[in-house]
Amino acid sequence: MSRKLSISAREFESEAIAQLSALLGVASRLTRNPADAQDLVQDTLLKAMRARDQFEAGTNMRAWLLRILTNTFINRYRRGGLERSVLDGPDADPLADGWISASTMESMRDPESQALRPMLEKEIKRILDELPEEFRLAVVLSDVEELSYKEIADIMGCPIGTVMSRLHRGRRLLKGRLYEHARALGIVGPEALVGDKSEKPEPVIDLSQYREKRVARS
Amino acid sequence: MTSSCRQIAPLLEAFGDEELAADKSLEVEQHLVDCNTCGERIRLNQALHVSVRSAVRSAAPVMPGFEERIAAALRAEAQREEAVDTVVEREAHHSRMLSWRSVVPVAAAAALTLVWAGSTSKHQARTEDPTHARLSTADQLLEQLVDHHMSARGPQVTEPALLRQLEPEVGVPLNLPSLKAYGARWEGANVVPVSNQHAASLRYTMGGRHVTLYVYNSTRVPIESRLKARTVRNEHVYVGTRRGVSIAATEHRGVGYALASDFNDDESAELVAAVY
Repeated sequence: MSRKLSISAREFESEAIAQLSALLGVASRLTRNPADAQDLVQDTLLKAMRARDQFEAGTNMRAWLLRILTNTFINRYRRGGLERSVLDGPDADPLADGWISASTMESMRDPESQALRPMLEKEIKRILDELPEEFRLAVVLSDVEELSYKEIADIMGCPIGTVMSRLHRGRRLLKGRLYEHARALGIVGPEALVGDKSEKPEPVIDLSQYREKRVARS
Repeated sequence: MTSSCRQIAPLLEAFGDEELAADKSLEVEQHLVDCNTCGERIRLNQALHVSVRSAVRSAAPVMPGFEERIAAALRAEAQREEAVDTVVEREAHHSRMLSWRSVVPVAAAAALTLVWAGSTSKHQARTEDPTHARLSTADQLLEQLVDHHMSARGPQVTEPALLRQLEPEVGVPLNLPSLKAYGARWEGANVVPVSNQHAASLRYTMGGRHVTLYVYNSTRVPIESRLKARTVRNEHVYVGTRRGVSIAATEHRGVGYALASDFNDDESAELVAAVY
């Protein structure tokens, strides 16, 4: 009796090695520790190797591996699942809601690199690591791995609408913190409100408040 | 912010992610022709996207030696699988050769051999091929789990609060999975020897049928190599049948859970996926 595999061990090894960088990137942002990230990737690939006959040929191997990686992370490091979103308050985006002007937004970008200004970019990793896990994972899977909403929903085990909400909230927090940082660095000046003052929402939700709420609820 | 912006701004994120329906994308594109502010929102979103990608990738380079470490681990796993297949094939071949009349005496002889080997070959085992020794161990472990499941030994502990008293012997935390959602009633627990380790044996009844859930140190009780991997609700479980008893195993944070029952493999896999 031989195993009926859709992919041989050698083929799997070759494909898995090709995904190492992507897996390590996501694992590093989940664990926030290089040694844990390497262990997580190794555990993931061994589990995937043993379950490779369940991989459907022709589908996205990277997305499949990332689903196993996420589950392994949740099981090993987060018994209660990912941090739940308990953010209350208005779901406001300072950019979409029009209380940051176009010129301020423009001054946060580097016109040559199409990225953020270097002084802001170097803060991204720190700010990203401060996001609640479920927001951070959604942002990394979308912006770094460039997976579709459907693929992210499969990995995170939630509806597409929840993915969109987590992405939006994660990016909103990122942008809010970057804007605060840009102001602290003097990259942008105090913002003159654009439009009707009544449109200005509450300040972007403070992560420390979120953590306190989380602790209080647990 | 114009009323038009108010309608378009919430769509910009999905537009940038190329997830917007075609008609909505067209609407956004038409708006962007005249609206510099929304254009700037798009450009800042893209800048954030580029910077996040760059920051994440540069923060986690594949360190020298890591690729080799992974390749070696995967090759070792492939070799283990090949060894399992070889043994399974050999066993299947033997079982095809044996008529039912010859099975009983041969099994009796094998049992005697095992008893003899168990009493004399501790020293020899050290010189065996390690792969073969591990396979034998996995087989023996499964047999032991079935034996314990079939035995009618009374429970040592019947109060959930006292379950933790068994932890020193078992070596892992013992939390009682309720399984009430499946109609299971917990009857009590024992500590049972499995190979040279100890496992907690939690006994349940479900509709008059007995179910045993073993909890153990998964790094020291490796049974999954002789079971078949499958995924249940995103959980990885390993399932197989021995002597009419379905064994389903899973692992969580170094704690192994193996469930023995006379359910079919689908049912026992479902059940074990719900134990933690």
